[in-house]
Amino acid sequence: MIRRATEEPVTQQPTPPAIHTLTLDGEEVSFTAGETLIDITYRHHKDVPNLCYDPRLEPFGACRLCIVELEGANNPVASCTTLAEPNMVVTTRTARLETHRRVLMEMVASENRDIDVDPLSGYASQQMRELVDQYDARTGRFQGEQSGTSREDDDNPFIKRDYDNCISCYRCVRVCAEQEGDYAISVMNRGFDTQITTEFEGLLVDSACTFCGQCIQTCPTGALADLKALANKDVPGETVTTRTICPYCGVGCTVDVMTRGEQIVGVLPAMDGPANEGALCVKGQFAFDFVHHPDRLATPLVRGDDGELHEASWDEALDRAATGFRKVLDEHGRHSVYGVASGRAPTEACYMLQRFIRAGFGTNQIDNCSRA
Amino acid sequence: MNTPTNQELFDAWRHEPAPLLPLLHAFHDRDGYLSEGAMRAIAKELRLPLADLFGTVTFYHHLSREPGGHQAPRVCTGPVCQLKGAAQVLASLDGATSMPCPGRCDDPVPVLVGDKVFTGAELDRARSPLPPPPPDGIDECVFAAIRATARDSIEGYRASGGYRALPTAIEKMRPGELLDLVDASQLAGRGGAGFPTGRKWRAVADAEGTPKTIVCNADEGEPGCFKDRVLMDHDPHAVIESMALAAYATGASRGFIYLRYEYPETYRLLARAIAEAEAADMIGNAVCGTGFSFHLYLRRGAGAYICGEETSLLNSLEGKHPFPRNRPPFPVTHGYENLPTVVNNVETLVSVPPIVVHGADWYRDLGLSDHPGTKVISLSGDIKRPGNYEVPIGLPLMSLLQDWAGGPGEGRSVQAVTMAGLSGGFLAGEDLDVALDEPSIRAKGSFLGAGGIMVFDDTRDMIDVAHSAMEFFAHESCGKCFPCRIGTRRLTERLNGAGPDDVTQWVDEVSDIGETMKQTSACGLGMAAPLITESLMKYFPERVTEHVGNRRGANR
Repeated sequence: MIRRATEEPVTQQPTPPAIHTLTLDGEEVSFTAGETLIDITYRHHKDVPNLCYDPRLEPFGACRLCIVELEGANNPVASCTTLAEPNMVVTTRTARLETHRRVLMEMVASENRDIDVDPLSGYASQQMRELVDQYDARTGRFQGEQSGTSREDDDNPFIKRDYDNCISCYRCVRVCAEQEGDYAISVMNRGFDTQITTEFEGLLVDSACTFCGQCIQTCPTGALADLKALANKDVPGETVTTRTICPYCGVGCTVDVMTRGEQIVGVLPAMDGPANEGALCVKGQFAFDFVHHPDRLATPLVRGDDGELHEASWDEALDRAATGFRKVLDEHGRHSVYGVASGRAPTEACYMLQRFIRAGFGTNQIDNCSRA
Repeated sequence: MNTPTNQELFDAWRHEPAPLLPLLHAFHDRDGYLSEGAMRAIAKELRLPLADLFGTVTFYHHLSREPGGHQAPRVCTGPVCQLKGAAQVLASLDGATSMPCPGRCDDPVPVLVGDKVFTGAELDRARSPLPPPPPDGIDECVFAAIRATARDSIEGYRASGGYRALPTAIEKMRPGELLDLVDASQLAGRGGAGFPTGRKWRAVADAEGTPKTIVCNADEGEPGCFKDRVLMDHDPHAVIESMALAAYATGASRGFIYLRYEYPETYRLLARAIAEAEAADMIGNAVCGTGFSFHLYLRRGAGAYICGEETSLLNSLEGKHPFPRNRPPFPVTHGYENLPTVVNNVETLVSVPPIVVHGADWYRDLGLSDHPGTKVISLSGDIKRPGNYEVPIGLPLMSLLQDWAGGPGEGRSVQAVTMAGLSGGFLAGEDLDVALDEPSIRAKGSFLGAGGIMVFDDTRDMIDVAHSAMEFFAHESCGKCFPCRIGTRRLTERLNGAGPDDVTQWVDEVSDIGETMKQTSACGLGMAAPLITESLMKYFPERVTEHVGNRRGANR
């Protein structure tokens, strides 16, 4: 509800959520009502394995790896879908749990073509491989038919759809719906024939997909993979990530730019980025070609008497711009100037531009391209 | 009659509750399949994401996306029909495909063509057989009046004692007293889970949030179970009356019957009965002329066993992808549209009107020793008189097989039976000497469940039977949780000749998969499916050894 400014401000504080305790691996720990058991295990660094869990998404309960023992329950329960209740007694590691987790990992490994995928595939792409190794699950047991059909016909330049490596955790479908709000992909068929698909099994470009890449980054097997990054897989050197802010718009998404030597090889969204929490758009995720593009301006250019553009220093370029502005002001007055701030500029830069136009030129003709 | 336009179909359903399934059926019926254009139009009208709608349509076995697909014959290839010539029927019909058990095991082999089921040797029968009469001295509850003349019409229902319980309850009992009565009867869920009905109703009555809903789970998908079909076909008004009673007890104002796709004749019978009941004020705005209002809607599934799981059913009704929901919260507080909801099996519901008329003591005393009440058993397979039998709970299994149903064929013996349709796995050998009550059967590692029992005589290959059973579970696994999605497939493969050549390794793999499925699956399907392999290995170890060993020979 929108409160009108004339109304009295609300002084009543919301009731803080109740604090309860439960026993986690023999230790009494506190929690607030509404937390799931996996939330609590994470807070206490219990390292409960999982493949379908993404803390940004609604609890789902597919992989069953995050099972824990709950006193009074016959079977283990999935900690991601179990709400904590006062005085629960929870154990995260027992012989029985570890046996089930290993069998589950052997089963999942048996349905996939590749366990080892290039880390450039995506943010979470190594999760499955790490768990297979942690549980020593390369046993070759449970061999049989493999699930999923890769879409090699989808020639979009961004997202590899290698469903032979899909384990049907539905993180991509859920992130597309819950985080991005696109509902571009869904689940087709059922059981072992389950297939991640678009409407009518089409190409991503014909679907509601915006190529934001979030499905890639949450995929725990590399079945959905970053084609832009993988194109750089042969660039020599170790991958180094640098925390920075996406240069495209004013939202300020935090990114980890991956480089090898002097070359950008890919972009990862920062899951802890305060503005984006792991989300990016097609530009921030994939459009980094301009950085190394030969047409990119590396120095200011000024037009010479010959009518051509020539490289110049910043002082030269700024002097030239100032001279131009002065000339216009002298000849046509202060209202001959109109400033438009870029939608890529953050608030602070927009503020600076309007100060520049208003105080510097004395006109109110200031706008922002996002207004359109 | 003119072919309805899209707009006419939308006008008919757009403002009805739970409109997606009826709209899908309306287009499916009109066009003979679900075209891309139809799905686009429905998604736009109901404001559903197109990818979601497409995915959901593909989930259901019986929604065809090929022109003419609606009318293509589907032949049951379930475990019983396989014994009764399903393969020949399938081969004899042009364009026929197989379908999972459509609940006709007492009258095999059924063929579904469009909105009609044909069965019998000449494919000339549609109607369910009536239950065989019980032996002398046995009192029934839900079948007591089902054989009365014209019981399926409102006149016949009234003439044989129907619509007495509802007016009595509304006029003479407060809702709380009706809850007390159901509690006292010790009636428990007859769909398989056995949850006390009174407790469920009371939880809904006490829960906050309106409107409350009564859902009759008539998605009888368990192979070997066909009891709800006979109840609805021959006693549809009992379903309606009992749902109105449940609504009165809980304060619900709306109800749904979620009927499985494979019972088209039942759909027509129920639709007619609902119209009759509305005209007679047994449901509607003024039930029995009082201020109590209860509206009842009939919805048809589209071919998915998992929709018999109550939370999948609710998702299906709501037009969502029919994965089971995570529980808790349970439907009694967060059911249809996240509001308090009773979900009861048909047999559970129709037990209530006789309890209201005859009292709780009468019902409890129908069972043997300490077991309250009765259970309908759907009996099929290698047995002389297959059919639905309402037995006192606690009746010995062999008494049902031999004395009630005539035993196996001449010169044959019972090799094994299934329990709970397929979900309880097999019982065989000395374990056939068991009473039909939940604690006794659970002590054998199985469960009574919805009460389907298939009989296999000594000529049958139990590996084949187990394979057919596991193939069913793999076909019906929703695909949400890993142990069931992968496990049902791996077990099917191992029963069909794949897997390790070494018996010890084979047994290790099958046991490990089974244990993990039983203990970590998200719903009952994945927990129950491995009972098939577990009981196969327990009762028929030498057949397992032969199966694995023969294959090794064959592979070399």
